Amino acid sequence: MSIRAIIADDEELARHILREYLDREPDIEIVCECDNGFATVKAIAELKPDLLFLDVQMPKLDGFEVLELADVNVAVVFVTAYDQYATKAFDAAAVDYLLKPFDLGRFQTALERVRRRLAAPPVSVPVAELRNAALPPGRHAERIVIRDGARVHILPVGQIDYVEAQGDYLAFHSAGKAVLKQQTISSLEESLDPKQFVRVHRSFVVNLERIGKIEAYTKDARIAILSDGAKIPVSRAGYLRLKDVMAES
Amino acid sequence: MHPLFQNRNTLLAYLFAWVPLGAMLGLVISGAGHLDWRATLAIIAPVTMLLAVVCLSPWYLCRALPLKGTPRWKILVIHWIAAQLASALVLFMVPFLLKLLARFYPGIEKQFEPSMRVLAGMCFLFYLLSVALHYVLQALETSRQAEVLSREAELRALKAQVNPHFLFNSLNSISALTTLDPAKAREMCIRLSDFLRNSLRMGERTSIPFGEELALARTYLDVEQVRFGKRLRVVQDFDTACNECEVPPLLVQPLVENAIKHGVASLTDGGEISLSAHVSDSRLSFSVENPFDPDAPSQRKSGFGLVNVRNRLRARYGNSARLDIDANAGRYRVSLTVPFIKEAVKE
Repeated sequence: MSIRAIIADDEELARHILREYLDREPDIEIVCECDNGFATVKAIAELKPDLLFLDVQMPKLDGFEVLELADVNVAVVFVTAYDQYATKAFDAAAVDYLLKPFDLGRFQTALERVRRRLAAPPVSVPVAELRNAALPPGRHAERIVIRDGARVHILPVGQIDYVEAQGDYLAFHSAGKAVLKQQTISSLEESLDPKQFVRVHRSFVVNLERIGKIEAYTKDARIAILSDGAKIPVSRAGYLRLKDVMAES
Repeated sequence: MHPLFQNRNTLLAYLFAWVPLGAMLGLVISGAGHLDWRATLAIIAPVTMLLAVVCLSPWYLCRALPLKGTPRWKILVIHWIAAQLASALVLFMVPFLLKLLARFYPGIEKQFEPSMRVLAGMCFLFYLLSVALHYVLQALETSRQAEVLSREAELRALKAQVNPHFLFNSLNSISALTTLDPAKAREMCIRLSDFLRNSLRMGERTSIPFGEELALARTYLDVEQVRFGKRLRVVQDFDTACNECEVPPLLVQPLVENAIKHGVASLTDGGEISLSAHVSDSRLSFSVENPFDPDAPSQRKSGFGLVNVRNRLRARYGNSARLDIDANAGRYRVSLTVPFIKEAVKE
């Protein structure tokens, strides 16, 4: 049975090298080539490949976002020019990573690893957390990608009003609408800018800019009323965190 | 704030310089009005102190009216008016002072009258002297700043050559071309070498003709053209008159690099970068326009290149250069305008 592979890179010449090297491998079949992130997510969902060669910097969605949205278990080989912060994340998320330019020998080593991985039972990696690991120190997520069936939502973090944990999912509230995404609230909290987003409650993260006022509710609990009228609970610890952040700014 | 206030020693030195100036003022005035030295001192000491403060004010005017790029008549007229105002201020204060002193030196008001015109003239001259000194100070400050920034540009140029993404992606393209189109691989090697060599050389100079700037940007685009193929389209519209204008080095290349990195590279189908350079009213206008994906993250996070360009323009031209950024409807446009200064004859 042959290994079905997708090549995702926005540069034609970069794809050409992979094609050329793969020509020598009779057990690998290229089922699709993609030149942007959206096309890659779509191709993964439709073709369910075994192997994905993935560039990190692509139009529409970057490599990490593609992985976050692709819920199919696929062996990933990152192919990238340079990413000093991401190498750790590559190690964890991918079978291997190739730094451009690479030679045939290095490429074949990566393929050996892929073959071994595909022979073993699949392991799942929490991709959303890896995205954080790949961010340079001091930088925070700028947008959230969410897949809703065949559709992909891109939500700039500035448009988030608040986020509510619901079981295994997070509900991202923005302009009166909510979208669900499978992620833990603590991993989300970690990826966001702590000066803009505060965990005001065990299940709530709120965008500071949206808070209209805070009212006392019971002795320890308070309620934050957002500018659009939404009410969200604020715990005692959450209120302290909120005060800390407000004091800094 | 005035730079003199930033350091106590320079401020003291400045105030001390007014002692001989005050003495000179006293000599001239006591000669004109036949006052005794004590009366003269009583008038001149506070007047000198007032002048010392008034003569700091040209700093703000000089900053607003840099010698380069401001019409001469404007500089002359404005400073002339300011000097008149300064001497009017002193003349306005002196009668109050005299009234106060009349208690100790009866008749001083009458005695001082002939000196008033002399005093006004001296104030006027001191103010203009201060204007001249401030322009000297400003020139020293500018050249120091320009040197710091040009060092920075040089460093950045060096860093740009080893800009990891640019370099490794270019090498990867060459690697692909070696089997696909060996002649083109060789051409790319040469283009890349040209770019590295030229930008290295340019960083060492303080001024270069704009034509060379455009040529360097062109070499950069040639390299990227191979990498992006049909996705990168370049349209250019240049007046040949632009080529001779002297500009700080490596002004254009960072703008073109941004247009690719944040523009064309973020779009699946790429896009068109339009470059234009024109001369009118003895000013050189240059603009880079590119399409971009408004949804892409960190659109202009790495605005470091732009900040650097803006700082270098300010260091070189003061307020007479402009850098404008305009992003809407998916198109990003950076335009800069500098005074047209013709290339000096090479010795």
